[in-house]
Amino acid sequence: MSDYILELNNITKNFPGVKALDNANFRLKKKSIHALLGENGAGKSTLIKIITGVYNQNEGKLFLNNQEKSFSSPNEAMNAGISVVHQERNLIRRFSVGENLMLTNLPKNNLGLIDYNTVAKESKKWLDIMELDIDPNTIVSDLTVAKMQLCEIAKALSLESKILLLDEPTSSLSPQDTKNLFALLKRLVAEQDVSIVFVSHKLEEVFEICDEVTVLRDGKNACESEQITNLNRQKLVKLMIGRDEQIIKSKKNIDFTDESLLDLQSINTDLGHKNINLNLKKGEILGLYGLVGAGRTELIKCVLGLDKINSGQILLNNKEIKIKSPKDALEKYKIGYISEDRKKEGLILMHDVLSNAGITVWSNLKKILSFLNDSIVYNKVDPYVKQLEVKTPSYQQIVSNLSGGNQQKISVAKWLASGTDILFIDEPTVGIDIKTKSYLHELIIELSLKGTSIILITSDMPEMISLADRIITMKDFKVVGETINNHNYEEMSSSIMGNIHE
Amino acid sequence: MNNKIPNFVKTNQFGLLILVIVFICIFSFSTDGFTSRFNIYALSRVVALDIMIGLAMMVVILTGGLNLSLGALGVSAAMFGGWCMESMGIPISITIILVLAFGSFLGWINGFVTVRTGVHSFIVTLATMSIYFGFMTLLTEAEAFRKLPEAFTDFGSLKLFNKYISPLLIISVLTCFVLYYIFKYTDIGRKLIAAGANPDAAELSGISVDRMFIYCHMLSGFLAALAGIMLTARIGAAIPSMAGHLGFDWLLPAFLAPVLGGTLLSGGKVTVFGTMLGAILVTLINNGLYLIDVGEFWVRFFLGIILLGAVLLDRAREYFTVKNSIVS
Repeated sequence: MSDYILELNNITKNFPGVKALDNANFRLKKKSIHALLGENGAGKSTLIKIITGVYNQNEGKLFLNNQEKSFSSPNEAMNAGISVVHQERNLIRRFSVGENLMLTNLPKNNLGLIDYNTVAKESKKWLDIMELDIDPNTIVSDLTVAKMQLCEIAKALSLESKILLLDEPTSSLSPQDTKNLFALLKRLVAEQDVSIVFVSHKLEEVFEICDEVTVLRDGKNACESEQITNLNRQKLVKLMIGRDEQIIKSKKNIDFTDESLLDLQSINTDLGHKNINLNLKKGEILGLYGLVGAGRTELIKCVLGLDKINSGQILLNNKEIKIKSPKDALEKYKIGYISEDRKKEGLILMHDVLSNAGITVWSNLKKILSFLNDSIVYNKVDPYVKQLEVKTPSYQQIVSNLSGGNQQKISVAKWLASGTDILFIDEPTVGIDIKTKSYLHELIIELSLKGTSIILITSDMPEMISLADRIITMKDFKVVGETINNHNYEEMSSSIMGNIHE
Repeated sequence: MNNKIPNFVKTNQFGLLILVIVFICIFSFSTDGFTSRFNIYALSRVVALDIMIGLAMMVVILTGGLNLSLGALGVSAAMFGGWCMESMGIPISITIILVLAFGSFLGWINGFVTVRTGVHSFIVTLATMSIYFGFMTLLTEAEAFRKLPEAFTDFGSLKLFNKYISPLLIISVLTCFVLYYIFKYTDIGRKLIAAGANPDAAELSGISVDRMFIYCHMLSGFLAALAGIMLTARIGAAIPSMAGHLGFDWLLPAFLAPVLGGTLLSGGKVTVFGTMLGAILVTLINNGLYLIDVGEFWVRFFLGIILLGAVLLDRAREYFTVKNSIVS
């Protein structure tokens, strides 16, 4: 008998063209908080989905309390006591807290109707265990983000879960809320006999709360159930990325006293941005760092004219401009935007490679009477698709059949083809394999060396510190700091986090 | 994959073509008069109209929307044409231009309201259907225009190709070619399809999606008005009830043709020639069933069943992703 509550041995999971997990092991001790780390695309989420019954592994075994199990649906995993609290909220916003907690097992009265008194009483029990002062009759949408997060955990507990998987639980929490959450998690482990799998990109949190660490890299174990006390930050990062941090540095000498190419002056927006000032120099990579919900993507969308700017000015080469739409931005001002959400906003998945890569240049290429055929578009985009080494059987391939990395390359290629002066790049490497990732990093630097000015939004701190020339920190729709990047990870990250947590 | 099979064989259109041939064979053998000159001519007049209204619906389905006001709009435009020619004495050619402009304008209203309110075009066109038809009935006092210029009505009863084919069918087929050209070989056509397939991605790629959606509705109005003119020429008069109450008679063929033809209801894929074949199939079944003499209600029953079947096919198509080209 071992003291593991959950054991995954030699798990392999194949997707078409990708081995997401390759002989990976994961062992969770009873009453411990275990960090599961790895870069995007390392296989963390695949592993979590196998544990929670969303996927089935191709090879390997899963043991729960020393019994071999195989879950064919999330429901089965939940009934076995495994609950996952996702990054995105899984509560029904218009229902009350009580209804959400009891949703899978709503108590009924003699008439078969829902017994709301019992709903309130039962759910109160779980809220009390968590020492949460929330009235079960509160409508979820009236809660703060942090309280919603806690309600999700309460919901998981109410299902008598013995294993809790927390996926980036702090990404939208304030430092104080994070502290409260950690205190709660520690108490749950001590008092409620719960074991926790903790997934986070914030290494300092891992050191604060976790007992053991498992790191995945390229679907394999970079380390397995290592005691946290045997590790330090550098070692952990090396395990995650397979080499020492910061390889690519942009070696540029930007004169920050130069005149700005793009200048945002005291911008206030409909979405709640307050007094945003920032400027972008020619050939610069300006990083926008912030937690999820800091308003970075939203700011860019306001600049592109998708949401309203209430006051303030946008200057391009010292001339005031008004951008009405992305079409305006592209055609009049040569500004492009590579979306963070390539499946929804970046690409037209049901269309082929050629029309996705060419969409930004159709207007320029059209002949008399708006005539345009495939070979005209092909001649224009082919050099860029080749340059980016997009792997596709043909230009007629439907984009949804390509891998994530190749899809991302196409959503970059279309903007290269359009020849913009300014490029907003939003989370360019989310869910991208490491090789493509460093390739994209080199490309971004190369672009800026050739004179394209770039605003880079990324939540990936190492990426930010290796690419940006200057880093603006945003929090709650405001700019809270500006730092010239010296590419020293320790210094820069503590300075940026300092800005956020002030 | 077997590369020896030509791509065309794997398409939806090929299946439709086979179906069309099968039905022609069945009806030729099982009914009297299906292949008669009279029946083929009558068929060509009907199918011409079904193709046109199918296309009018197709260009709105492209946006992921619907145009329920199609029939009301087409009849309103036709009545406007009748008034121009009969009451105002405007020459035929100018009348046609005015009617097409008027139809496009009514389509613009549909598009503009849909885009500005963000309400689904289903609701918007349900409302405008009632508005257009009500307004038209009010203005015309439900009276028909029966004294149209002879040159106009003669065209509707003209017989070509050894008296087998109506010139109306030639207009419809030509329209198919023009639309195919627009969607396949023009910048604007590509933008319409891109906007329909993924509005968010298209907008962020510098396409004015709102404008594209309005263009689609205008094109739909244009084609519906053209169908209205064709129907007027065929009947020889502009009658308020010529497409049924509120234009309902047009709705079934309008949906059937594009959906059978392989246009995705969720938008982003058009099949011009598929729609043409779909319309031909619908007309054939309609006509054949009448000749077999099963009774009007059975015909409606079967068309309803076919529509349901076609919608199921549409769902299946979405799952098996669109492997073929976007315009076909």
